Amino acid sequence: MNIRSQMSMVFHLDKCIGCHTCSIACKNIWTDRKGTEYMWFNNVETKPGTGYPTKWEDQTSYRGGWEMHKGKLRLKSTGRGRIIANIFHNPSLPSMDDYYEPWTYDYQNLFNAPEGDDQPTAKPISMVTGEYIDIEAGPNWDDDLGGSPVYGQNDPNLEGLTEEQKQQLFAIQRLVFFYFPRICNHCTNPACVASCPSGALYKRGEDGIVLIDQNRCRGWRSCVAACPYKKTYFNWSTGKSEKCLLCFPRVETGQAPACFHSCVGRIRYLGVVLYDAERIEEVAALPREELIDGHRSLILDPNNPLVIEEAMKAGIPESTLKAARQSPVYRFVKEWKLALPPHIEYRTLPMLFYVPPMSAVTASYDGKVVNGTSEEFFHDINDSRVPMQFLGNLFGAGYTGKIEYAMRKQKAVRWYRRALTVGDIDMETAKRILHEADCSIEEAEAIYRLTSLCTAEERFVIPPAHRETAIEALQDPMTRKQEVGFGFMSGPRRGM
Amino acid sequence: MKNKRLKHYDKDPNSRYCGSLFKKKPVSRYARSLNAAAISVVLLAFALVSSAHGQEAAEFFRKNCTSCHWIGGGRLIGPDLKNVTSRKDRDWLVRFILDPKAMFDARDPYALKLKAEAKGVMMVKVPGINAKMANALLDLIEAESRLDSSQFAGKAAAVITYTKEDIDAGRKIFSGKTKLKNNGRACISCHTVNTSGGSLGGRLGPELTTVFTRLQGHNALTAWLSAPPTPTMRSVFQARPLEEDEIKSLVAYFESAGSETGYNYDTFIVWMSVILCGLGGSVVGMVLFSGIWGNRFRAVRRPLVKVSKLRGTS
Repeated sequence: MNIRSQMSMVFHLDKCIGCHTCSIACKNIWTDRKGTEYMWFNNVETKPGTGYPTKWEDQTSYRGGWEMHKGKLRLKSTGRGRIIANIFHNPSLPSMDDYYEPWTYDYQNLFNAPEGDDQPTAKPISMVTGEYIDIEAGPNWDDDLGGSPVYGQNDPNLEGLTEEQKQQLFAIQRLVFFYFPRICNHCTNPACVASCPSGALYKRGEDGIVLIDQNRCRGWRSCVAACPYKKTYFNWSTGKSEKCLLCFPRVETGQAPACFHSCVGRIRYLGVVLYDAERIEEVAALPREELIDGHRSLILDPNNPLVIEEAMKAGIPESTLKAARQSPVYRFVKEWKLALPPHIEYRTLPMLFYVPPMSAVTASYDGKVVNGTSEEFFHDINDSRVPMQFLGNLFGAGYTGKIEYAMRKQKAVRWYRRALTVGDIDMETAKRILHEADCSIEEAEAIYRLTSLCTAEERFVIPPAHRETAIEALQDPMTRKQEVGFGFMSGPRRGM
Repeated sequence: MKNKRLKHYDKDPNSRYCGSLFKKKPVSRYARSLNAAAISVVLLAFALVSSAHGQEAAEFFRKNCTSCHWIGGGRLIGPDLKNVTSRKDRDWLVRFILDPKAMFDARDPYALKLKAEAKGVMMVKVPGINAKMANALLDLIEAESRLDSSQFAGKAAAVITYTKEDIDAGRKIFSGKTKLKNNGRACISCHTVNTSGGSLGGRLGPELTTVFTRLQGHNALTAWLSAPPTPTMRSVFQARPLEEDEIKSLVAYFESAGSETGYNYDTFIVWMSVILCGLGGSVVGMVLFSGIWGNRFRAVRRPLVKVSKLRGTS
């Protein structure tokens, strides 16, 4: 066993209101510099929709992530041999056009325009070229299914749905969508790290945050092609790649990342999980249908004395283990099995999990009244407007079993709480439904508590970073103390 | 010891050290008799040298002048030099020999007249020439002019008709297919002839298609090739001269090359093949690249925009 700790995340999609506050909080901190205008370390997509960059889930085009080749894992986009042949022309690289061309407006024209018959307008200007442009794409272009239905209909997750289901999904009376906020998943088996020819990307040992060393990055952009979630971006101004850094300067000082902190719906949970690094390759190479179970088995029980002992041996501090025992992520993912990884079939073993969203009942409209198909208080989850297969494609590697389990449990908790607080539902029925959903009353209370009444301390369980001892691994602390300030980032040395 | 030193002086009779060294020597009884002996030896050396001088001039003439000039044999590339000293004054001749190019550049009328007679071929400055040697050469020419038949009269070749084999052999030598016997470089390294395969060939030396008529015939061309006088050719071929049969073949080839007229199909074929190879190579390259990178990432968003513009928002 080789135990490591990871700052892991859960996004509760049932609570997301699609306000983009997270995106703006992140943008204002990290990507409002020149060259980063088109980057959104955090973005919120509407599903069904094509997302950002457009159709990023279409891996036959983008070729991100891993694939099984002769029983072994290999990157889809590149490899040791291929990286040399394609170093100056990466054939899997999206262009900025597949994201969008960032723009601002010619606001000065509102003040300086000569007097005329019409009101002056502020025409859009490209932030890359400085020329006037026609805007035809943005980071949330098809937000709330806006604009042309072309985008929603080209969602790669619609694969495997029947024609009828597709028709219903976009019929105007039955229209449905949910939000899908995305940041870097800080994967356990990151394709970006594996692909980098300069060795500039790394996964931090202490908290598993995946970072790009800006001093070592040579701008080959292999990570951009290799990341199946398209969460590394090329900065055209510095000529280096950048990605979400989970606001590590905030995390190291005990604060939640900006997008977590600012989340209006409080959908985001952050906590430590312990995982066994020795089994990563084995798990990532599992057959598709076993990936979710394998991924869960990678995450270890922080209350298990054996795990604690091994973790101590691996140098994980007691404070981190304590945080792991209180981790909301561990409960959502392992204990309750409510949260599921996005597109685990890319085999990067993402460490960001999503609680799949409930959706409205399939209803019909006869000209006067809207009729639900179910007489029951909460409809059967298989009658959700969002087809189970769609969620299965997104969170279940194409299989719906794990999704149904999580949905059923969520529904059961609602039955139970309704019976308890309103009382218009028979408690016996509620308990039967709980039982059917593999959920005890205590568990239902805990889910209710962490979903609805959670405080910031419950959502974000961030252990101390112990930065004060981190230097010991690299340098004698006394030497460091003497040198720091005299050449702040790195002390003076002999030679060039 | 003394003898050794004297022998050394012998080798360089013009050395200015002779006098000065002796002056610096303390004059002793022995030294005086030594001086006398030395002076007599030096004088003797001078006498020997001046008779050797004629010999040296003759040798120089053979090496450097006979490729263009005969004495009493008629015109070669340059004029027959018999009685040249009576045709023009010695001072002019010396100046001309020392630096012909300067005379041409100064538009000396007589020099230009010579150039016109030689169909534009200009005399070159012979490496190693100096005023003394120029005078010695003129002495030699004067002496030879007085003879009935000079050793430099040359022999005009009978009217030669070259066979096709000669021409073919010449072409092979020119193009380098047949190696030169003394390991000289093939002509094509620096020269072109229009029939040698289009205009392919070196650009360092002049184009040689019409060299046969430019240099005025067999005799001149043969003489020229046996000891090429121009600085570049000289440095290349002095150590690796052309053999007699090689010269014959080359002259035959140059004659045939110059006499060919009309449209040259070789040139056409070469240029067409260059163009066709270029086009073919481009096509092969494109096919190859599209094979290697055929499944590269192409625009994903753009096609959606096109579709939605076509459909509108309905």
